[in-house]
Amino acid sequence: MADLRDQTTGYRLRHEWPAYLYLLPTTIVLLFLNAYPVAYTIYISMTDFGTGGRGSLLNYHYIGLSNYVTALTVDSSTTWTLVGNSFFWAGGSVALFLLVGLSLATVLNQEIRGKSIYRTVILLPWAMPAFITILVWANMWSYQYGIINGLLSSIGISPVDWLQHPDTAWAALFITNVWLSFPFYTVVFLATMQAIPKDLYEAASIDGAGSFSQFFRITLPFLRPTIIFVGLMGFLFTFNNFYPIFLITTGGPGISTQIFITQSYNQAFGAVGASPAFSFAALYSVLDFLIIVTITVLVIWRTDLTRNWLK
Amino acid sequence: MRKRRGRKWIRLGRRIATHAILILACAFAVFPIYFIAVTSFSTLPIASITAQVLIPKESQLSLASYNAILFQQNSPNFATLIMNSLIFAGSAAAIGMLLAAFTGFALSKFNFPGRRTFVYFILLISLFPSFVMILPFYLMFAQLGLIDSYLGLIIVYSSGAIVFSGILVKNYMDSIPDDIEEAALVDGLSRTQAFFRVLIPLCYPVLGLAAFLAFVGPYTDYVFAHVFLTADTTKWTLALGLYNIANTDSGQSNYGLVTAFAIVMSLPIVAFYIAFQRYIIGGLTLGAVRG
Repeated sequence: MADLRDQTTGYRLRHEWPAYLYLLPTTIVLLFLNAYPVAYTIYISMTDFGTGGRGSLLNYHYIGLSNYVTALTVDSSTTWTLVGNSFFWAGGSVALFLLVGLSLATVLNQEIRGKSIYRTVILLPWAMPAFITILVWANMWSYQYGIINGLLSSIGISPVDWLQHPDTAWAALFITNVWLSFPFYTVVFLATMQAIPKDLYEAASIDGAGSFSQFFRITLPFLRPTIIFVGLMGFLFTFNNFYPIFLITTGGPGISTQIFITQSYNQAFGAVGASPAFSFAALYSVLDFLIIVTITVLVIWRTDLTRNWLK
Repeated sequence: MRKRRGRKWIRLGRRIATHAILILACAFAVFPIYFIAVTSFSTLPIASITAQVLIPKESQLSLASYNAILFQQNSPNFATLIMNSLIFAGSAAAIGMLLAAFTGFALSKFNFPGRRTFVYFILLISLFPSFVMILPFYLMFAQLGLIDSYLGLIIVYSSGAIVFSGILVKNYMDSIPDDIEEAALVDGLSRTQAFFRVLIPLCYPVLGLAAFLAFVGPYTDYVFAHVFLTADTTKWTLALGLYNIANTDSGQSNYGLVTAFAIVMSLPIVAFYIAFQRYIIGGLTLGAVRG
């Protein structure tokens, strides 16, 4: 009710107070299931909680920022590997999503026969639950029994031990991730392209603009808000996308494909027999959080992304 | 004349290239799904997962894998897994939908002090990586005695999609003119009555989407279920069952069973996604795109 916007706080409180009742259940849930655990995690990151050579399980103490100091000094090579990997994973994935999505949407955005069939078939990977298809992909990349090496050997290429080398492990992850996400990006960009008024293109082609300059002068500017929105969402989602790495490479070989979130999980619930270091599990998630909050704030500040949400 | 013919060839070449690219994209999209489907019907033993599995002979096809996972499997059996998944995901969907409706209503139709702060607050905490909360969750719920219980995991799941769905519902309600609510008030309804009797029915589509999104998360969750349902396999969900047969101790999973399981578990979700694709895509982009 926008006409009330100019009223004083007291007036708004008297007339709009039921809103607080409606928000109460959500607020309770979020405080209990989000805010408190986040605070708890931050606290744990400042203790010696865990048995990973850094304290004990049941008897732990507040030790201030010394874990952070460790992460930035003794363990700095691990920390910087995680920073690099997380950005590489999220940034690389989003770049591929945008590239593949924009290209396919451009190809699909023509008068062609069978368009809706293509569109539906391309959407299939998106409709399958990701947890299930990632599990299957993990089996497909297997050295000995995987179908991908099976296919390669049937055309005379010797099998590749995909998950044992950092380069091929990253390739496997990116290919799987593109498969998971390109349908959504393609269809979203296609829908946005179809909303662009046709007369713009007609006018441009009368003025002699070729299809390349039409793409860069008309299509791309129109897509800009969508690209920023799905790009940011995709980045935040992928930065914390746990399952592909957890199920396919488990961060290996070594920690060469480990990102913050999988490393954090490993530190807390990792390999059987390894001693859990809960404090460091918490620390990695706090660092992860700080990074994505910074990115989100920067993007929201530099663009008008949340305008619709706060209208 | 010659120029025109040249144009025609260019157009034909362009059309061939277009279809070639799209067929390639479709092949990439379909290949793993085809592989899942064909393996689930195959009788070939695991060691012969080579290219020959892709073009099966009729004699190598059977429903044995489906029979095995649906009827032969015990501890826990498939019906139990389905029941548990429905209990967890269904409860999460109901709670999630209700909370999203309340949140969306408050954010859309009220101009209360602190509204902007509230939105920023929920956006901020929704950015915290959820998997990492497993540790504090585990410690909190262990103290409450809610490990290995239905209630504990349902509570954990109930917050899953709440921030996103709340904003989703808010956007949808923004598009409903205030006049409709005001007309209901003029007719003598209270604001609460107007919400339940007028606004909620108008929001059924978006509430259905909110419920679906809140359902899919728990339905396919492995990590939380794995940590929270430690000892009690009678409360296991489909996702746990699938992970368990896909990662056997011997290191050689039975692909036939894994893929048959995957097909059965995916089918309802795939059907829903395909049936409501335009609607879901519009929702996932928070109305930025009309799929």
